[in-house]
Amino acid sequence: MIQTENLTKVYNGKTAVDGLNLEVGEGEIFGFLGPNGAGKSTTILMLTGMIEPTGGRCLVDGIEVAKDPLKVKKIIGYLPEDVGFYGNLTAEQNLDYFARFYGMDAKERKTRIAELLALVHLDGVTQKAGEYSRGMKQRLGLAQALINDPRVLFLDEPTANLDPEGVREYRELVEHLAGEGKTVFVSSHILSEVREVCRTVGLLAKGKLVAQGTLEEVARTLAPSDGDAVRIVVETREHLPELDDPGIIDVERNGNRAIVRAKTDIRDRLAATLFEQGVHVREMRVEEPDIEDVFMAIYRR
Amino acid sequence: MAAERLFTVARKEFSDHITSRRFVIILALLLVISAIGMHTGIGHYNDRLESYNQQLQQMEESDAMVKVVGPYPGWMPEKPSIMLVFNAMMSYMTTLGGVLAIAIGFDLVSKEKETRSLKSLLSHPVYRDEIINGKALGGIGALGFAMVLALAISLAMLLVFSIVPTLDEFAAILVFGAVSLGFLLAYFAIALTMSTVAKESGNALIYTLVIFFAVTTLLPVLGMMAGDAFAGDRPEPPQTAPMPTPVGRSVTGTASGGGYFTTSVSTKTVVHGGEVEVDPEWQQYEEDVKAYTEKRMLINDVTNLISPQMNYYKVAMAVTNPRIAVMMNSPYSTKPMPEETPGLAEALSQVWMNIAALIVFPSVFFAATYIKFMRMDIR
Repeated sequence: MIQTENLTKVYNGKTAVDGLNLEVGEGEIFGFLGPNGAGKSTTILMLTGMIEPTGGRCLVDGIEVAKDPLKVKKIIGYLPEDVGFYGNLTAEQNLDYFARFYGMDAKERKTRIAELLALVHLDGVTQKAGEYSRGMKQRLGLAQALINDPRVLFLDEPTANLDPEGVREYRELVEHLAGEGKTVFVSSHILSEVREVCRTVGLLAKGKLVAQGTLEEVARTLAPSDGDAVRIVVETREHLPELDDPGIIDVERNGNRAIVRAKTDIRDRLAATLFEQGVHVREMRVEEPDIEDVFMAIYRR
Repeated sequence: MAAERLFTVARKEFSDHITSRRFVIILALLLVISAIGMHTGIGHYNDRLESYNQQLQQMEESDAMVKVVGPYPGWMPEKPSIMLVFNAMMSYMTTLGGVLAIAIGFDLVSKEKETRSLKSLLSHPVYRDEIINGKALGGIGALGFAMVLALAISLAMLLVFSIVPTLDEFAAILVFGAVSLGFLLAYFAIALTMSTVAKESGNALIYTLVIFFAVTTLLPVLGMMAGDAFAGDRPEPPQTAPMPTPVGRSVTGTASGGGYFTTSVSTKTVVHGGEVEVDPEWQQYEEDVKAYTEKRMLINDVTNLISPQMNYYKVAMAVTNPRIAVMMNSPYSTKPMPEETPGLAEALSQVWMNIAALIVFPSVFFAATYIKFMRMDIR
């Protein structure tokens, strides 16, 4: 549904997005992760037809965005970071203005706006948008992104201004939208947020895609290289005896606990050996790289 | 560019303008002050009309063959035009009208950048040119609305005072309205450009005001200085020959902020001992002065073409007071003043350059706005 080919954007000689190749399937909830200034928002701006790429191209539903931005805008919804509205208009008036660009008639607009305002809990709010709190603006932003019932939804830092209740509602909404078959592209620098809603992620750093896949795949790809070794964490009730297995490379001991570096996953053999020696195993697992640590390492680069 | 999207933007902008407190306050002030000016103008018009009627009456009462009421035989008093009443509106238009135009334009784009509503708007299916053209159209509509209101109130006041314009006068009123709108558009265009260039509305307003004062006060002064510099020293009158009797015209006019200034010292004859003879020294001096002043005027007029105020003043004067406008535009004409007041078309033809300048000036700024907006970084 979303595809970028060598997508590049240069601002005043500085490369913001550098040869990005990305693919997001239909109905996916894709998390676009990266530290501030990594080029996430610039990528979204190119994907939504707001700016033209310096090089490469991007496609949404097979339509090249730079060539036909209006056609793309008709099938997408976009919630910008720090979304803004016309302060002199109410939520309804703001949405009505935007809805007019989709050729919706008055009745259609009225029905759709009422639905959306109820969805984001802004129905019955008579204040003008200029008097809204940041959280209310964010909710209204979500409503304006959904005004055309889009097939693809781009959300840039969607939970930035929401309170915990708002965040919970937002997550439910994203799940609901994905359930309807919509593709959701969430850009965020908050790992925990992406982790909650996204099935696949792409990690961007300094304008380049560092890794793409499920969170675990990405974490494994980016974890510090330990050759082909498997790290097995073992904890026993009794004192851990000497371990003798041809697959073992080395063992880091710490009382009843040890980290075994092995050539392959030898947990079955280890469990059997310990059982034979009458040692009770409390824990035995392959140590996965810590996602937070991996991402933090990328963020700090 | 789809007309539907363009008009969607224009309609919203127009609605925003006419419902904004800022617009309503300035417009109300403009209308009230214009109405007071009109009231004074109507008073003058009535005085002139009364004088005209008295002159006619005196002529009828005097000997039909020897009319001695006027300055020369055959002279007929001229009925005053109601366009004189609109003279008062000119100065209000150049000040409050200008302020109104600036007030609606200076934050049209910058405010959208500040509130980030522009980004939200651009995320929907609408092209940038439709947005900027719609904004311009909405602003023009609002200024047009203000002009229509001002003219409607003026007409209503005329009717209240039992003054009914003729068809020609009505056409002149409409032309006056169009010219005034052209003037307002000049400042609206400057404000819109600055709003697009500046990141913040405060800066946009400051830049606009700087240009406003530059073209209203600095430019005429610079024009005169350039005139002085390029025309050289003023010719000295002959020391020995006697002073001739000036019979030419002398016209002085000033627009709001000053600037327009012409003089004539055209002389014709010197009488010596009952014989009419032309002193060659004085004749040479006259020609030198004429050439000097014409050169000075040309430089001044060319400089003033950049000033919307001066162009407006000249064109509006041609509409409201064509006789004075003709004198201002050709102060060295040796022809006697026409007995008949020039028609509207004739008066306008004399100021075609100013009309063109009134069209070109906002067009240049609108074009600059368009280019800047299309290339604007909306991150």
